[in-house]
Amino acid sequence: MNLISDLHENTEWRAKYRGLLEDSPDAMVVVNPSGEIVLLNDQAEKRFGYLRDEPPGQKVEEIIPLGLAERLIAEAMSGQTSGGIELNARRKDGTEVPIEIVLSPLETAEGILVTPAIREITERKTVEKHLAQMEAKYRGLLEAAPDAMVVVNASGEIALLNVQAEKQFGYRRDELLGQQVKNIIPDGFAERLVADGTRTAAEALAQQIGTGIELNGRRKDGSTFPIEIMLSPLESVEGILVTAAIRDITERKRVEDSLRNSEERFRLMASGIKDYANVMLDPEGLVVSWNEGAERIKGYRAEEIIGQPFSRFYPAEDIHNGKPARELARATERGSFEDEGWRVRKDGTRFLANVMITALRDENGRLRGFGKITRDITELKESEEHLGKTMAELKRSNDDLELFAYVASHDLQEPLRMVASYTQLLARRYKGRLDSDADEFIAYAVDGCNRMQELIQDLLSYSRVGASTDAMRQTSCEDALARAVKNLQATIEASKAIVDHDPLPAINTDGTRLVQVFQNLIGNAIKYRGAELPQIHISAREAGREWIFSVRDNGMGIEPQYFDRIFVIFQRLHGQKEYQGTGIGLAMCKKILDRLGGRIWVESQVSKGSTFYFALPVGEQI
Amino acid sequence: MMEPDAPSAQPIEVLLVEDSPGDVRLTQEALKDAKVHVNLQVARDGIEALSLLKQEGEFANSPRPDLILLDLNLPKKDGREVLQEIKESPTLKSIPVVILTTSASNTDILRSYMLHANCYITKPVNLDGFLKVVKTIDGFWLSVVKLPPHPQT
Repeated sequence: MNLISDLHENTEWRAKYRGLLEDSPDAMVVVNPSGEIVLLNDQAEKRFGYLRDEPPGQKVEEIIPLGLAERLIAEAMSGQTSGGIELNARRKDGTEVPIEIVLSPLETAEGILVTPAIREITERKTVEKHLAQMEAKYRGLLEAAPDAMVVVNASGEIALLNVQAEKQFGYRRDELLGQQVKNIIPDGFAERLVADGTRTAAEALAQQIGTGIELNGRRKDGSTFPIEIMLSPLESVEGILVTAAIRDITERKRVEDSLRNSEERFRLMASGIKDYANVMLDPEGLVVSWNEGAERIKGYRAEEIIGQPFSRFYPAEDIHNGKPARELARATERGSFEDEGWRVRKDGTRFLANVMITALRDENGRLRGFGKITRDITELKESEEHLGKTMAELKRSNDDLELFAYVASHDLQEPLRMVASYTQLLARRYKGRLDSDADEFIAYAVDGCNRMQELIQDLLSYSRVGASTDAMRQTSCEDALARAVKNLQATIEASKAIVDHDPLPAINTDGTRLVQVFQNLIGNAIKYRGAELPQIHISAREAGREWIFSVRDNGMGIEPQYFDRIFVIFQRLHGQKEYQGTGIGLAMCKKILDRLGGRIWVESQVSKGSTFYFALPVGEQI
Repeated sequence: MMEPDAPSAQPIEVLLVEDSPGDVRLTQEALKDAKVHVNLQVARDGIEALSLLKQEGEFANSPRPDLILLDLNLPKKDGREVLQEIKESPTLKSIPVVILTTSASNTDILRSYMLHANCYITKPVNLDGFLKVVKTIDGFWLSVVKLPPHPQT
C-alpha cells in the first residue's frame, strides 16, 4: 500500500481520509487555509511529477499557478463547492497540462481544508476539439440534407435540427431546440430511445438503426402528416445522440393508396373478366388486343380479329349511319363514352351490349388508342323486362281481383235477393201452415240468406275502398270523429258509452275513410265491451312524419295471439250467436290505412281493454 | 168528357218495366199485400216498354199508364235510354217515372234525375223492405199525388 506519509501529524482523520484519496482515479490534493498542501495522493504525485514527500507545506500555487487558486480556495472555504473549472496546471518540470478541478470544503480538527480533485484533461480537450470540428462538418451536412434532420439526446430533447425540419414542422429553430421531440413526433420515436427492463438505451437504439419507421409528424399548427424516419447514433461530447432523418411521405402514401385502389379495381375487374370483352383499339379503330371474354362474347379468336376494324361488331344499319366512328370521336372528345345497344357476333347473331370506350393517351396527351370493354347484357335486359312485366301483371291481377270482388258481390246480390225475398215470402205466408220441420227449414234458409247478404254488402264496401277516387284534402280529424260518433249515436246511447277525445289535428287525408275508421274502431269498442260501461278515449300525437291516433277502450281485450288475425277479412274471434258481424270492420280499417299510406295495430290486455293505434302520414299542408 | 175524382171506379194503370220474372211476381205480390187496386202491365225489356207506351203493333190497345216503374238494367234497350225517350216525347213526358233498381250508384242516381226521373228508389234486399217500398210507392203516387189527366181525354 502506498501510504501518505511525512505530514505534520498523523491525526485520526488523516488515516481515514488517506484511504479514500488513494482510491480516487483523480489527482487529489488537500489544502489548508494558508494554501499549503497538507496531503496528496498517488495520482497527484504521478501527474505533477512531485514526490510525495517533496513539497511538505508547499503552496498550492506551485502547481496551480494562475492566480485563480487563491480565489477558488477562498470560495471553497466559504462553503461553496465549485465544480468543473478548467485550468492549466504546472508540472514540477515546468510543463503545463490542462486540468479540471473540483473543489470541496472539508471540515477537520485543523479547520477547514479544501480538497481539489484534479483531473488531467489533455486527452479530452483533444477529443473535444476534434468533435467540435466534426460537429461543424456535421452541421454542414445536416443543413445540406434533403430530409428534415433532427438530433435528439438521451432525454428525448431536440439538440439540433436543420432548415428542412423547420420547414416541415413549421417551427423556427429556436422554438424547437431543447424541446421534447414528442412535440413534433408524438408517438413511436421517443419511446424507441428509452431503456426498459431488458435493454439499455443504446441497445434500444441499436435495434432501430437503419430501419425506416413509419410514424406521424405533428406541425406547429397541430396538423399531422405521415413520416418515415431513419435513425442513426451520433457520439458527441454530450453522450450518444440520435440523428433522425425525417421524410414527409404524404405523397408516397397517397400514391400507394391510389395504387392499392386501382389494384383492387383491377382485381375485381379481372375476376369478372370472363364476362367482359376487353379489347384495345389503335387510334384508327383497328383491334390490337383481344381477351378471352371478347372471344366468349363475340365468337372471334384473337388471330381472326386482330388488325380488323372494330366496326364489324356493329349491325349493318349502325355501320351505315356511321355509329362506330361517331363513338370513337365521342370517346376522344370526352375521354370516355358509354353506350347500350345491339352488337353482332361472329355468327351474325345479335346481343344487347353495354359498351365503354375509353381514350388512351400518352404522357404528352397524344391519342394512343382506345380501351373498349363490352358486356353482354341481353340476359340482364331480359330479366329486367321480365320483372317489369311481372310487376305490371301483378298490378293488373290486383286490379282485376278488386273489380271481380266488386262485380261479383254486386251481381251476386241479384239472385240472392230473389232467394231471400222468396224464402221470406214463404216464411210469411206458410208459417204454421206446413209442419214444424218445414218451419224450421225455412227459418234456416232465411237466416242463411240474411248472413249471405251481410257478407256481400261488406265485401262490396271492402272492395270499394280500392275503387275510391275521393280526393285527399285538408281534413279536421275532430270533425271526422264527430261524424263517426253521430253515425253511431243510437249504439252509443243504447250502451251508455262515454266517448271523449283529446285535441285532434287537421291533416291532409281522405275524410270519408277516416270517418269509417273511427266508426269501426268505436263501434267495436262498444260491441266488445267489458263488464263496466264502455269508456272510449281518442287521442293523437305527432311522431316524426306521422300522426299516431289511438282509440282506447276498457272492453274485454284481445289475446296477443290474435293481434294480427283480427285485421284479416272475415276473421272473427267470436261465434255468430255471441256477436253479430262478418269480421269486415278491422280488415276494412287496415285496407283504408294501407291506401292512405298508414298502418294500424293493437295493444291489448284481456279484460283490461284494448288500444287500437293507427298512423297516418303528416302529408303536405295545403 | 168530365170525369169525377173517383180512383176506385177505374183502376189505375201502372207499367212495370222489369226483366226479372221473380221481381215481377214479387211486385205483384207486394201490390196484392198492399191491397191496392191497380192494373199492372209488364214490359220485359226497353223495346217492349217503348212499343207499349207508343201503342205500336200488338200494344195498339194497351192503355196509357198513369205511372211507370222502371228498372235501369234491361236487355235490348236499357232503362236509361227508355227514360230519355219518354222524357223527350211530348206525349209521354207527363207520365211520372219511378226508377226502381238494384243500383245504388251515385252516377245512376244523378243521371236519372238529369233525365227527369220523378224519383229514384233502390230495391231493398229483403222482403220486408221491398213490401214497404211498394206500399209507399202506391200510397204516395196513387193516393197522395194528383196525377196529370190523360191528354187524349
